[in-house]
Parts: sequence; structure tokens; C-alpha cells
Amino acid sequence: MGSVEKRSKDVMSDIPTFSAENLQNNLKVIQNSRTFLSIIAGVLAGIIGFNGLTGFVFYFVVMLITSVGLMAKAGFSADLYFDSLNRVLFDGFLGGLMSFVLFWTFAYDLVHIF
Amino acid sequence: MNLGFVVGVFGVLILSHAAYSTIQYRGLLKIMEEEFSRPPMNVIVELIIGLALCMWAALTFPGKFLSIHPDSDENRAVSLPDNSEFMIFNHRGRLFPPQIDMKF
Repeated sequence: MGSVEKRSKDVMSDIPTFSAENLQNNLKVIQNSRTFLSIIAGVLAGIIGFNGLTGFVFYFVVMLITSVGLMAKAGFSADLYFDSLNRVLFDGFLGGLMSFVLFWTFAYDLVHIF
Repeated sequence: MNLGFVVGVFGVLILSHAAYSTIQYRGLLKIMEEEFSRPPMNVIVELIIGLALCMWAALTFPGKFLSIHPDSDENRAVSLPDNSEFMIFNHRGRLFPPQIDMKF
């Protein structure tokens, strides 16, 4: 059960009041999904053998697909689960980039150099 | 273990099998002294299948989205928290009229 937290004196409007605990849960879900998919994208880029800019383009393509998938999971109505649409689309983009590069170099070394 | 986890493990297994196939393909190219441009077609198909499975697992395994709307049916304002013994209700707040209609 979520606990309600009031953010303003005006309690008749619905917009400032939401359950912060559930919002944190939703953000954690997005973070986990994006991190896992960054790692998978890195392994894939290493196996295929992308060099240079093509790999980063591949990462952004995978992240866009992830955003679409997360929107579909939220039922395309972000205000039921999040306070702003930007969160669900762009949160965790750059944090996953580092994991992507790490696993990209790891898989590339494993498959092509070793 | 629920279905998302199993599907994710399966996707990772398919990916590692594709990696192993690519390593073998590179060994073959070294013997034939040719250049490596891209993995063979069956490996690419395997990678796409593995990516699809992992994407599905990544969207379902971490958990569901919970509604943040305070009026929805699963966000009830009154619940039984662990510290219900410490709550007192005989304070000055009882003189205020209830301002919001909360679902109990």
C-alpha cells in the first residue's frame, strides 16, 4: 500500500499529490531495465564487431527501442505512473552508456582479438 | 523464478552461443586467410532472436509499474502500518473538519 504525501495546501487538485513511494518504485524499474539492456547491447555490439561511431549509433537505437517498450509497458499514458514524460523517456540514458562501452570492449576482445 | 527471468536466461544463452559461433567463424576465416567483415547470416538471426528475448525479459522482469494516482483503487490512504501502536488520534487535529474526501 502506498502512503500519500501532500505536496501543497490545495488538496482539491490532483496534480501535486501523488504517492512518492510508487514513483520511486517506477523509477527503479526503469533504471533496472535500461541497465540490463545497455549490457546486452554492449555484448551484441562486441559480437557483431562494430568499430567507432557505428557502435554508439547502435546504442542509441537500442535505447530508443527501450523507450518505446517502456512507454508501451506504461500503457502510453505516462501521467498514471510518472509525474513527467521526460522521466520515462530520457532517464538513465547516459548512465547506461558506460556499461555499454564496458561490455562492448569486453565482448569485442573476447570474440575478435583473443 | 517467474517467466521473465527464465526468458532472460534463455536470451543470454542464445547470445553466448552466437558469440561462440562467431569465434569459430573467425578461426575458419583465419585458416582461409580472408577478412572479417560481418558475422554469418545464421549468427545474425540468432543475435536478433536473443536481443528480442532479452528485451522482453528486461521489460517484464524488474517489476510492474505502480499507479501514483492517490485516488486509484490500490492506493488506499488508510492502511495498517507497523507502527500503528504509536499513533494517537486524540490531538488538536480532531477539531479540524475533514477537507478532502479520502477513500478509506
